Amino acid sequence: MYDLSNVTRHYQKGGRAVTALHELNLAIGDGEWLAIQGRTGHGKTTLLHILGGLDRPTAGTVTFAGRDLGRLREAQATRLRAESIGFIFQTFNLVPTLSAAENIESALIPLGTGPAERRRRVTAALESVGLGDRARHLPSELSGGQQQRVAIARALVKQPKVLLADEPTGNLDEDTRDEITALLEQLWRDHGLTLVLVTHDSAVARRAQRVAIMHKGRLSIRQDTRRAAK
Amino acid sequence: MFFFTYLRRELRRRLRQAVVTALGLALGIGLVVTVTAVSSGVSAAQGKVLGALFGVGTDITVTTATAPSSGGMAQITPEPYVQHTDTLSSPTQGSIGASAVTAIARLHDVGTAAGGLVLTEIKTTIPADNAPPPASFQPPVQVGVTGVDLTRGRLGPLAAARLVSGRNFAAGQAGADVTVADSAYAAAHRLRIGSAAAIAGTRFTVIGIVRQAPGSNAPQLYIPLARAQALSGLGGKVNTVYVQAASASGVGLVAGEISRLLPSATVTSSASLASSVAGSLKTTAQLARSLGTWLAVLALLAAAAVASLLTVAAVARRVREFGTLKALGWRSGRITAQVMGETLAMGIAGAAAGIALGLGGAAAASAAAPNLTATVQTSNVGQGGFGGGLSADGGIFQGTVGGPVQTFANPNATHTVAVPFTAPVTAAAIVLAASLAIAAALAAGSLGGWRITRLRPAQALSKVA
Repeated sequence: MYDLSNVTRHYQKGGRAVTALHELNLAIGDGEWLAIQGRTGHGKTTLLHILGGLDRPTAGTVTFAGRDLGRLREAQATRLRAESIGFIFQTFNLVPTLSAAENIESALIPLGTGPAERRRRVTAALESVGLGDRARHLPSELSGGQQQRVAIARALVKQPKVLLADEPTGNLDEDTRDEITALLEQLWRDHGLTLVLVTHDSAVARRAQRVAIMHKGRLSIRQDTRRAAK
Repeated sequence: MFFFTYLRRELRRRLRQAVVTALGLALGIGLVVTVTAVSSGVSAAQGKVLGALFGVGTDITVTTATAPSSGGMAQITPEPYVQHTDTLSSPTQGSIGASAVTAIARLHDVGTAAGGLVLTEIKTTIPADNAPPPASFQPPVQVGVTGVDLTRGRLGPLAAARLVSGRNFAAGQAGADVTVADSAYAAAHRLRIGSAAAIAGTRFTVIGIVRQAPGSNAPQLYIPLARAQALSGLGGKVNTVYVQAASASGVGLVAGEISRLLPSATVTSSASLASSVAGSLKTTAQLARSLGTWLAVLALLAAAAVASLLTVAAVARRVREFGTLKALGWRSGRITAQVMGETLAMGIAGAAAGIALGLGGAAAASAAAPNLTATVQTSNVGQGGFGGGLSADGGIFQGTVGGPVQTFANPNATHTVAVPFTAPVTAAAIVLAASLAIAAALAAGSLGGWRITRLRPAQALSKVA
């Protein structure tokens, strides 16, 4: 699915150059679950943004399904995100004025899906995360776990190839964390998704097929259970 | 529809900001509507004054100054017997050959031209020499009489008159002793259709009674031009030429052409007449044009600035939201359209409230404003040919009894007209106001959109992640 070759990302912070990613090489297969761990500020989120076409590497190439993400025009990258990549954020990032169903529906707007089909898919997505009875609730009327379920449904409603999750359990208590992790695992298996999950939490990371460690912009693989999982 | 659902929810979430923005725009728009209405009212009032003085359809009048020997000064020597004089003359204006009318009509930018003879009939009784003054001395009677070119009825002194009774001149009455009387004069002298009116010793039959606009300084009697020329001894001459330009934009050109054709003539346009208008009407017009316009422009700019700042601030607060939408695959244009939809809704609300405010302001201005007055120098009017040489305030004639009697014009006499003021709100003003509000809202939305376009999704998400 992904092939990263010598990916480097520099940016300016407070007037000085920072290297977020340093000559990073990584291949992520179709349907793989990769967990990325590491300390804050060591490049995990930058890597996730580059994988999602939200950011571009300063050097090196990132190919996604055979397409060089660094060479895509902004409109093409936007289209790619709309069709193929789902995002989940630590702080859920739901639009506070829209209901759970409308937040999920917002992911279908760029695809130009018709209203009836949108309603059908939103209902199915809500059911798949166990929130069929919360469609009209605003985010403020939902618990943290429920909000993250809505965010997961929003990411999955467009049936993406890849799910990029940035600390999806970082704001949740332990029980809810386990629920969300179990849900992600179930969806990953059911939908055949490629899942890249950034987490601080080793308990969450251990459930992935591979665990990579980011340290000062460099990546190293700590655990690989792909063969066992299959 | 998702667009409107999202828009409605966002406006409701930021209701206070939406109300402040809409109210700011409403204030600006209300001022624009009110100032436009006041300006329209003042323009209409000016138009009434100028129209009354100038005549409908007339763009330019051409006159000449009185020649020293043309009758401006007349001396009557007392005799041993009582004298009755009844003269028709042009005491304040010089005469022009009728051929000048034809020459003016042939000018390139002239639509049509008509000659007229603005005259004054003076009826005086001079006591016998050395006789004691009679106990009931009657001052000289003055009557304004204007000779009208019957072939150009739509242009000239009668063009602005409204026929009250009877009929107007017919083309075949050029040599007939018929007259059209002003309604006020007819009422004062009990003239009716078919009555007789003596002008310079000749009996004229009243065939029509007309009413001129208040303040028009109209003559009391109108007679055919040929008869006026004959009775005043100005055969083949006129003292006023009424000119209509071929197009409204050509008035200045026509004035220049006439000045070149007749260098000694006084060429007066409505614009030059307007500049001689004084009084509260002029003050109000100046106030509406200067202070009012600037106030409205400033208020509108301030409202647009406030709307822009609030929109940019809202975009800054919604960075995470827009970053997330970009991550979901929303194009910048789609997000910008959403934001512009929100500002447009505020603009429409502001326009509606502003129009309501403006209508209230215009109504208040109409209710509170007293009648305006416009003061025009009679000498200017007389020289310009607007309504004759004699004014009701005796600005032209003064006389002494028991010695030589003189007639002369007072160049500093003025004519004051009361003009009722209303501030009408026109459909055009409402469309303009609504357009301004929407333009201001779209400008604010565009600024917000510009910020969104520049927003890098990774940066937007990183700031809050």
